[in-house]
Order: sequence, then C-alpha cells, then structure tokens
Amino acid sequence: MDRLERLVNLVVALLDTERPLTREELRQRVGGYSEDNDNFHRNFERDKDLLRQMGIPVVAEGLGANLPPEVATGYRIPRDLYELPDPGLDAEELMALSLAVSAVEFDGSAQGAATTALRKLAGPGQVGAQPPVADVPSDERVSALFSAVTERRVVHFDYAGVARRVDPYRLSYRQGKWYLAGYDHGREGERLFRTDRMSGTVVVEGVAGAFERPQGAVAGPPPPWRLGEDEEIVVDLRVDASQAPWVSSLAGGGTVAQPSGEGPVYFQLPVTNRAAFRGFVLGLLDHAEVMGPPEVRDEMVYWLASLAGQEGPSRPHRRSR
Amino acid sequence: MSRPNSAERLGRLLAIVPWVVAQDGPTIEEVCEKFAISEAELLADLNLLFMCGVYPYTPDALIEVDIDRGRVWVRFADWFRRPLRLTPPEGLALVAAARAMLGVPGSPTSGGREALASAVAKLEMVLGAGGEEGVDVELGAASAEVLGTLQMSCGERRKVLVDYYSFGRDETGERVVQPWRVFSSGGHWYLAAWCEKAQDKRLFRVDRVRSATELDESFEMPASLGPVPVYDPKPEDPLIVLDLAPGAQWIAERYPNEGVDDRGDGNVRVRIRVSSRAWLERLLLRAGPDATVVSGAEGVLPAAAQRVLAVYGHVTSKE
Repeated sequence: MDRLERLVNLVVALLDTERPLTREELRQRVGGYSEDNDNFHRNFERDKDLLRQMGIPVVAEGLGANLPPEVATGYRIPRDLYELPDPGLDAEELMALSLAVSAVEFDGSAQGAATTALRKLAGPGQVGAQPPVADVPSDERVSALFSAVTERRVVHFDYAGVARRVDPYRLSYRQGKWYLAGYDHGREGERLFRTDRMSGTVVVEGVAGAFERPQGAVAGPPPPWRLGEDEEIVVDLRVDASQAPWVSSLAGGGTVAQPSGEGPVYFQLPVTNRAAFRGFVLGLLDHAEVMGPPEVRDEMVYWLASLAGQEGPSRPHRRSR
Repeated sequence: MSRPNSAERLGRLLAIVPWVVAQDGPTIEEVCEKFAISEAELLADLNLLFMCGVYPYTPDALIEVDIDRGRVWVRFADWFRRPLRLTPPEGLALVAAARAMLGVPGSPTSGGREALASAVAKLEMVLGAGGEEGVDVELGAASAEVLGTLQMSCGERRKVLVDYYSFGRDETGERVVQPWRVFSSGGHWYLAAWCEKAQDKRLFRVDRVRSATELDESFEMPASLGPVPVYDPKPEDPLIVLDLAPGAQWIAERYPNEGVDDRGDGNVRVRIRVSSRAWLERLLLRAGPDATVVSGAEGVLPAAAQRVLAVYGHVTSKE
C-alpha cells in the first residue's frame, strides 16, 4: 500500500473518533501496517511524527496509569484543533494577499510557508512573475513567538543570562531585526527583547488567551539614546536639512521645528542614555549641534576639545560614561 | 522535477479536498491551476483518495470521487470539510508579508491596499482570539514620494536625477542614474542602479536620497543585472592599526577586520581596511580615548574633532 494512502487513512481514523485510539486499534483500522511488531511500531512512530511536523494536532492521552504500556496511551485528532476556521476572504482579498506574499521573500523557517498557507486558503495560483521586493529573515523562534502573540500564550526563554517568563504583546521587525515587546513577570515590567539575542528555545505555555494585550503596546525598539537608566533630559539638537530625514526616522518623530524651508531642523529629543546620544550626534559629524541644555552641550564640547588635543572651556560637572 | 514526498502530497491533498468538496464539480483544469499541480499528479492523488475512508473500508465507508467529462466531485469526505489550520510559520509568512506591504510608504501593491488591510484583519481574527495588531513589519524608512518615483522609474525604465547623500564621503550631490531595481533588505530600502557619474553599478540607500526626479530619457535594462556589491573593504584600501580599550572593543566585533591581537593588558590591537575617511572619523570620534591610532591614520581624529568643534563656535588654534 502506498504510504500516502496509509497516512490519509490514519488521519481519517484519528479524526473519526471521539475516544482516543490505542496503537493496536489504529493498526487494525488503518491497515497497511506491517505484521511484524517492530516494523509496525517504527512505521507508526514515523507516521505520527510526520503528521505532527505538518502541524496536524495528533493528541496523545493517557488511558490509565495501571494499564500495560501498549494500551496505556491513546491518540486522536480533535477537530476544533485541526480545522482552519473560515476567515471569509473574498477573491479580491485573496488576490491582495497573494501579491503581498509574492513581494516578500522569507528566509529560514517561513520559506515555502507562504505557498502552503495560500494553498490552504485556496488562494489564486501563481500571481505575477515579479521578483520579490523585500526579504525578511525568520526562524523557529520568531514563528513560535508569532503564534504566542496571536494566541496570547505566555512564553519562556533565556535572555541576558536570565530565565524569563513573558506575556508576549507584540512582534516587530525593525532595521533588519525582530523584537518582542511584552510583560516580563520576573522584572515586573514591560520589556523589549531582540529575538536573535534570546538563547535556547522558546517554550510556549498551553493556555491561550492567558492575558490581555494592552492598547498601544510599544512597536519596535526606541532609539539607542532612550535605552538607558540615566535621568531623562530633553536635548535640543540642530541638524542640517540634508541629515534631517534619517534623524527623524531614527528618532521616531520627536518634536521638530524647521523655521525656514531649506534651513536646519531643530529636534527635541528625550535622552536616558547620554553616552549613546553622544555617539549618535558624533555620527552626524559637523551636520549637527547640541543647542542645550548647557550641561549636555558643555559635555559635548569637552569631549571634542579633548580629542582635538586642546583644553576645553571648562570641565563639565558630570561626564557621562 | 523531483517526486514530491508523502508529506508534500498529503499537505496538498488536505488542501485540495475541502475546496473541491465545497464546489459543484470544478474542472480538472481549474483545480490544477489553483493548486499549481499537473493533471497527472492530481489524478494520481484522486485515484488514491477514493480508496480511503474508515474501517472496514466497505464502499459506504469510503470517500467517493467522481471524475466525469473533465470535472471532478468529491463526496463523503466530511472529515476534510475544512483545510488544516495554519502552522506558526505559515501564519507568520502571511501576516508579516501583509503587514510589511501595508507599511510601505505609498504602497507598491497599488489598488489592493484596502483589500489587503481587510484580508490581514480577517486572518488575525482566525489565528488569534482578537483582531488587534500583534505584528508589525517595517521594511525601512523612506519618503513615500522618493520611493514612489524610484519604483515608477524602474518600471518605466526612465533615468532619474537623484540628490544623494553619500555617507562614506559625507557629501551630498546630484547624479543621473539608470534605476534597475528597488528592494528592501536588512530593514533598509535600496536602489540598484547604473550610476552615470561613476560609470559603474551602485547600490543607493533610499533613505539617503533627498529627492528624485524622473527624466524624460529612457535606458536599456541590462540582460542580466548581476550582483550589485554592498560596501566591502578592498585589499588596496589603506590599512590602519588601532589599540582598543574594553570600552571600544565593539569596533573589533562589529566590523570586518584583518586580525585582532590580545595585548595582554585588557586592550586589543585591530587592523582594519578603511576606504572612507568620514567613516573612520565617526568611528574615532565615538570611541574617543578608548581607541588609540597606532598607525595609518595619524592626525585624522584631531582634525575631525576640530572641525566639529567649530560648529560649536570654538575656533581652534594650532598650538
């Protein structure tokens, strides 16, 4: 018998039952398995693994602790876990989705997944032969976090050497990296995690809908000068018009004023990491000037003067690290 | 074409059957087109399907498949009334692609924007408990106007005049380019183009294009674009040697270099090829006292610091 035929019959048998079926019962009902016990066990395990790898929810249930091992476990596929609820997409929506999917190329675990997903939705076949316009990396971890975010399940992972238990609120892709924003139970606060800095596997807890996602959960990382524990200070920064667009995109807006159409642009940026802020401003070379407060401006002048090999006006009270 | 394995065939079948069941006898052709499958493959799978069902496999317990005059019906397959739910990678691929395209300024999936937005909202509804946005994807910062002009010019094969800020040289200037392709990678939008000024192919960061104007001049797209190199150091670039205190050792970790030696006192010595003075200036200004130039870049840092200091009204005097 063709293995495919055996697999279809196995899925049908597992879907057709309310009561978990033991391995022996399945052997009888499905047919096509070997008479030899060892062969049968090996093939049954392989089939079961294959179904699970495809995302088919083959559930194992204990039938009684005192039973002999061959009948102690039963299997079935609960329909509500198997079936994709109908999202009710019309032809135009399916077409838009197909176009979006063909425009974005995924590396890693999601590669090929878009095709099989569209097939399940019975989307239009091949659309367009345009090369993708964007590539987005993905891996097992990002996929696991995605389902945890959408199903609101608590996740566990290691980060910066600490085991975390997190309510995952939102997954964002920014500047080539995936970030997870969520509530860290250990730290008792909202935190942002870079997924490529998590170590080990992400473990997703069983209960769906385990928490409420707050409105307006943060999207993506703040600029580097917001990632620190320094006392917040609002800095006035003058930036040449030529550099203003990317400063603005990095700052995520910020208060901006441009007194004349072509002239410099003034930003007001809240800073909690002075060293990172200095690095950012220096990256702008002579296209930017810290206007105030005096404390921050003096610090910058002092830094530059010492590198220029001359004495600064006066050593500021506080040197940032 | 390699023969698809059992998992691939099963996945395909579990998607095809619910759709065929829900139609009233679609044509074989229609099914093949929708599911990107050849007629021979489809018939092989259907022939196998009608031997499937439940124990004891008497005719009334089997799936019924009828093929008649190029049309196909599947009956008594209630187990497969719905397709299999989406796996996490599948859900991610759909939602992330849709969110990414919705986030593109002046969306290139012209026209279908509203349809895409409602599609992804419906999908998120069936994937999770609520329809709130749990995923967002930003392919890169760019002005909608610039990105739109560049994409349009690529399509129409017209030359573009761009006002571009070169990060490496720290210069802004106009140049005429033949735009080949606009794409996003690593979270930034790029334009791959032939630069008429440099007489070479170049990769431009779209967020550094200050303005783009389409010219009334067309160009020939080369038959094969070939890879357009992102910046990578060349052997003929000047070699500089730096000693780095722990506070500046990110330089050795982050940038390609030609070797790192431990100095034994907590410092490391790194050799880096540098083709761009502005890049080196930024690096040294940021590292400050944590980086010491050993050779190859004498005088670069004091000069850069003095230039920036002048912005602050501190006129420098040579001692």
